[in-house]
Amino acid sequence: MTNASSANMENVIEEKNQDMAISARNINVVYSTPTGQIPAVRNVDIDLPKGSITGIIGESGSGKSTLIMAIMNAVTKPGKIESGSVILDGKEDMLKLSTEQQRKIRGKKIGFVFQAAQNSLNPLRRVGQQILDLGRSHDVKDLRALIKYAKELLMRLGLDADRVLASYQHELSGGMRQRVGIMFALVLNADIVFLDESTTALDMLSQASVLEIIRELQKEKKLTIALVSHDIGVIADLSERIEIFYAGEIVEEGKTDDVLANPQHPYTRGLIRAIPKISGDIDSAEPLKGASPDYKTYQQPGCLFYDRCPIRTDECLKKRPDLTHIGKSHKVACFRVGVHD
Amino acid sequence: MIEIKNLEKYFTIKAKFSDRKIVHAVRRASLTIPDGGAVSLIGESGCGKTTIGRMLCGMETPSEGTIIINGQDISKLRRGARARLLQKIQLIHQDPYQALNPTHTIQQMMSATLKKMARQKKKGAEWISQRTNELLKLVGLDPSTILFKYPHMLSGGQKQRVIIARALTVEPEMLVADEVVSMIDVSLRLGILKLLRSLREKFNISILFITHDIASARYLGSNTELYVVYKGMIIEKGLTEQVIRQPHHPYTQALLSAMPILKGIEKPGKDRFVLTSQFRQSEEEQVGCLFADRCPFSQPICSEKRPELISQGNSTDAYACFFPEIRDVAAVSVDH
Repeated sequence: MTNASSANMENVIEEKNQDMAISARNINVVYSTPTGQIPAVRNVDIDLPKGSITGIIGESGSGKSTLIMAIMNAVTKPGKIESGSVILDGKEDMLKLSTEQQRKIRGKKIGFVFQAAQNSLNPLRRVGQQILDLGRSHDVKDLRALIKYAKELLMRLGLDADRVLASYQHELSGGMRQRVGIMFALVLNADIVFLDESTTALDMLSQASVLEIIRELQKEKKLTIALVSHDIGVIADLSERIEIFYAGEIVEEGKTDDVLANPQHPYTRGLIRAIPKISGDIDSAEPLKGASPDYKTYQQPGCLFYDRCPIRTDECLKKRPDLTHIGKSHKVACFRVGVHD
Repeated sequence: MIEIKNLEKYFTIKAKFSDRKIVHAVRRASLTIPDGGAVSLIGESGCGKTTIGRMLCGMETPSEGTIIINGQDISKLRRGARARLLQKIQLIHQDPYQALNPTHTIQQMMSATLKKMARQKKKGAEWISQRTNELLKLVGLDPSTILFKYPHMLSGGQKQRVIIARALTVEPEMLVADEVVSMIDVSLRLGILKLLRSLREKFNISILFITHDIASARYLGSNTELYVVYKGMIIEKGLTEQVIRQPHHPYTQALLSAMPILKGIEKPGKDRFVLTSQFRQSEEEQVGCLFADRCPFSQPICSEKRPELISQGNSTDAYACFFPEIRDVAAVSVDH
């Protein structure tokens, strides 16, 4: 007991030492549907340390994108943020600001790139015009400098800047649009960037080069990045910390290599075993059993992973485990830590 | 056994208002798929891998070259005979969300094709329902819960399984699986890959697996061959595991290097490199190696002459490069 509490103390100190770009506490998001209220995100605490890349992994429908939207206070109906706080830079609470203040922050301080970048570009205006629109709506005085900076970024991203600025979105390929999306996220010097499945639609080679560019820019500009994906490969390659999301809750978090080399939650273990890998024994790979969580899963009081868990006990059905420390920065939400299947 | 010899495909597309442009989509592609064998085609989008698959299913007509199925050249057959032969080759699409009719239940969908089979075999309605159950069980679905559902009630993985079951109704000898796992959640991909593998092993169904993810090509079972396609040309081929561990062509190496590394489980190969230049559909026909403009190891001769796909010592390996060199680029497991 004393050991555990002293470990906790250490962690508290460590967390305080590192500045958080975003510190979200107790986030709850609920979707109202004809079948009842579905908690898409439940009691999630998440910290994005300044200048680091955090990866969030989850199946489709696990609520990972909703969490990002909640952090930006941009959840749309029928979703609703029930409670929580999102502290930016240890100062203001994103969930309490006025809409105008929020709008100023989104884009200027927080940049975001979505999965379908083509849907976030205006089909009727050239890319260059859209940069000017963005600048005007954020009261940028020197629009000429903005365009110059946009060009520089596009060049960095390996694009022909003049051509891109003069094109409509349909004239660009998927990979180019995704890069344009990244440029838009960075052009106002945002220091926090959310990338929501932003490389999923890309080809292998363009994905690799976009990831490489993100890595470079992050180092150079000390960006804080939250990377959301269902592809564990992308996240494992890029992020320093990793959050495993299941049915609206974080079930495991920690340093990436730590979690991957030594996964403790049965879901994390199953997920790692279930991905097609380029290395290792192919016969040891096994698909994850059971079906993805549905609305019935959310209503039970016990552990959300109970149905699919190979090491469940009766206790798991009655109570839901909390996220608890098992190492320096490694946390798991499971009663059966240490039990192997 | 299926043999494709020197297949060529040109598409004429509208370039500008009245201009027409010819795209050379497939260049002298040859491949052989033995009964119960598996071949994977790997390449970027737009490299022509899907076109090869579509020509094999009879959905495109090759501009040149021959496709021989069980010893019969399909271009020389009459229409009826060709249709019967092509029934043995079934295509599974990339997008399970669009391949099912949203107004039909799974049962309606399965029995539609089974009725035709029943007529050929002179069997009754009982055979149809029995066969439906059998096939759904085979692909890992529970018939009693799924038969009366509409496609929108199924998850992506379940839809893909239904599509495979439907393809099996006509008792095919070969499945053309075009990016079957790319739209499915990572955690469910392995299930589909294992299913394809078991179809090979149990029923001797051969598989043409079209993908851009090299890792999933490893899971199709033993003796699978990997063909790497670039701009319509096969630039390297060999046994899957061997190509991954000992790639000769720089493009294959670039693809392998592009695989993300699972930190903590894997470490990158020592010669890993990232290709930054973009894939371009060039305006003029290139004379030299198709990959020369992007290749980090290209020499002057590469843009003057095009290397042919030449078999090496043993018969399975071949690569089209003037300066082949084995580079260690694929990730390897970290030992614990």
